Amino acid sequence: MSKMDDRTSEMGLKRGTGHPVRIVALLILIACLALFPFVVTNRFYISLVNEMLIYGLLAMSLDVLLGYTGLLSFMHNAYLGIGAYVVGLFLIHISPSSLWLAILAGVVATSLIALPVGWVQVRTGGLAFALLTLAFGMMFYTIVWKWYDLTGGDDGLMGVPHPDIQLGGIVLGNSGNPTAMYLLSLCIVIACFLLTWRIIHSPFGAVLEAIRENEERASFVGINVRRYKLYGWMYACMLGGISGGLFILYRGYIGPTTMSAFAGAGVLMMVLVGGMGSLWGPIVGAGIFIFIQDYISTMTEHWELFVGLVVILLVLFMPRGFVGLGDYLTRFRKE
Amino acid sequence: MSILAITVDIVLNSLVLGGVLLIVAIGLNIIYGLSRVMNLAHGSLYALGAYAGFTLVASGLNFFVALLIAPVLIAIVGLIIERTIISPVRKRSIVYTLILTYGLMFLLDGLIKYFWGNEPRFIEIPEFMRQTLPIAGTHYPVFRLVTLLITAAAMIGLMLFLGKTKLGIILRAASSIPEMVSCMGINMTFVHIGAFALGCILAGIAGVISGPLYTIDPIMGHEMLISSFVVIVIGGLGSLRGAVLAAFLIGLVQTLAEFFVTDLAMVIVYMMMAVILALMPRGLLGEGRFE
Repeated sequence: MSKMDDRTSEMGLKRGTGHPVRIVALLILIACLALFPFVVTNRFYISLVNEMLIYGLLAMSLDVLLGYTGLLSFMHNAYLGIGAYVVGLFLIHISPSSLWLAILAGVVATSLIALPVGWVQVRTGGLAFALLTLAFGMMFYTIVWKWYDLTGGDDGLMGVPHPDIQLGGIVLGNSGNPTAMYLLSLCIVIACFLLTWRIIHSPFGAVLEAIRENEERASFVGINVRRYKLYGWMYACMLGGISGGLFILYRGYIGPTTMSAFAGAGVLMMVLVGGMGSLWGPIVGAGIFIFIQDYISTMTEHWELFVGLVVILLVLFMPRGFVGLGDYLTRFRKE
Repeated sequence: MSILAITVDIVLNSLVLGGVLLIVAIGLNIIYGLSRVMNLAHGSLYALGAYAGFTLVASGLNFFVALLIAPVLIAIVGLIIERTIISPVRKRSIVYTLILTYGLMFLLDGLIKYFWGNEPRFIEIPEFMRQTLPIAGTHYPVFRLVTLLITAAAMIGLMLFLGKTKLGIILRAASSIPEMVSCMGINMTFVHIGAFALGCILAGIAGVISGPLYTIDPIMGHEMLISSFVVIVIGGLGSLRGAVLAAFLIGLVQTLAEFFVTDLAMVIVYMMMAVILALMPRGLLGEGRFE
């Protein structure tokens, strides 16, 4: 791999996670995010930030694959879609009031679908892996699009009920309420972020990075490359399923376009804009991407053109994204 | 219709579909084999070829003249793309080239929508091709037979070019041992450019002939891109013989699947790709190679 990737690995492993300044900064950020819906009471903005958080979770899970394991998934949004459809169907057909069970069902179903797919995919690497994600993603998209009776086809899944958010028998709010839903998303995203951070900075994460740097060498050290790739894949898909559950709860509706190749490119772009291999970068990237998307799509219908142009420019001139920009600045100041 | 007529229909249809698939897939295969760039924008170049053909025919040119001019235009577009966008990242990890060409795909799609709009288009064909020809009890459109002939001619031309001309031999050598070829004093930059242009010409030809076969719309390239991936994966990456076999196999499967269960056609094809990749990653003939 190139010089650039070496730098990324250095950054990921050696920097301390427990530096007091960083912890304080993180806590302030969380406090700001938690207070946000009480300061800005406009429903539109709360929903927008909520969507940023949900896509941030998805982008972060893609980063576990792309930035840490070195596996490219073109259609990670497929797993958001599967999670969302399963949660939605669970709420419609089985139990309209049990939120946690529905999310659990979504995660379990996503994992059950991701397992055979991953089993096939980890047998390959690099290019073949990427092509397979595209093939499977398109397959799921076609199924969702054509299976009218179950998924509503083109019209999407409509009329998903909004269950109450309960914890230990106490009702904290209804998921149809933007503020309550926002706080639920925030809690889950933070929990997932901390868990992923812990996992990535454990020996397990180091194994994933070893696979990214050199698969052959990793297998010579005695690492079962396929198994670890599968673990990484399953973890990323589970997080995708969770983000899907949040997505359908927040929006109450999902259509097949959420699972299209175009939406997949969007997720990839969030990771690129933010910077691969940093976990928090993709979340920032998702925020920037959704803000710009919201802004530009109100102005022009040729949104595709801009997405393409931005991806090309990013890969050519800023391959490490937002995170890379921060690094350049600190180095510049030291010099 | 009799069983014979249906069989003839299915066989001819799958040959036509397989032929178009083959031309696109071989272009993709040549670009990958020679410059190690998996061009995800190939489907969009194919769509661009179809639109170029449409515009040329709509401006009053003969269909066959358009068939000659459109591929050249696409090759020029390809040259510009190769020089400005793809060559700077060739040395980087394959993840970057994949993301880059993915972005390029959206850029080209966006440009197509910008210039031609969203509505479906049709390429006008000469009078004699609109008729049908009676074969074994079925009336088969002449245009589809002409498509088959064009495909065959393009493939034979390509085989002769790769097998008999000096340029073709250099290209084939460069796909197996690029270091040796550059040691012989051949500039690999030109080889990369040549491969990309050749792939674009093939995409352009496929685009023009599929214009009257299917409707032309901005997303026609996406399905073609995925299908041609399936073809080169099943045939083995970098293997030409494998691609021929796989293209007609996929053509047959897709035609049969469309004949019996319309909606699940593509799902079956994707499943096939997954199974082949998992069980025989080097393709049906065992000739392919992944990095």
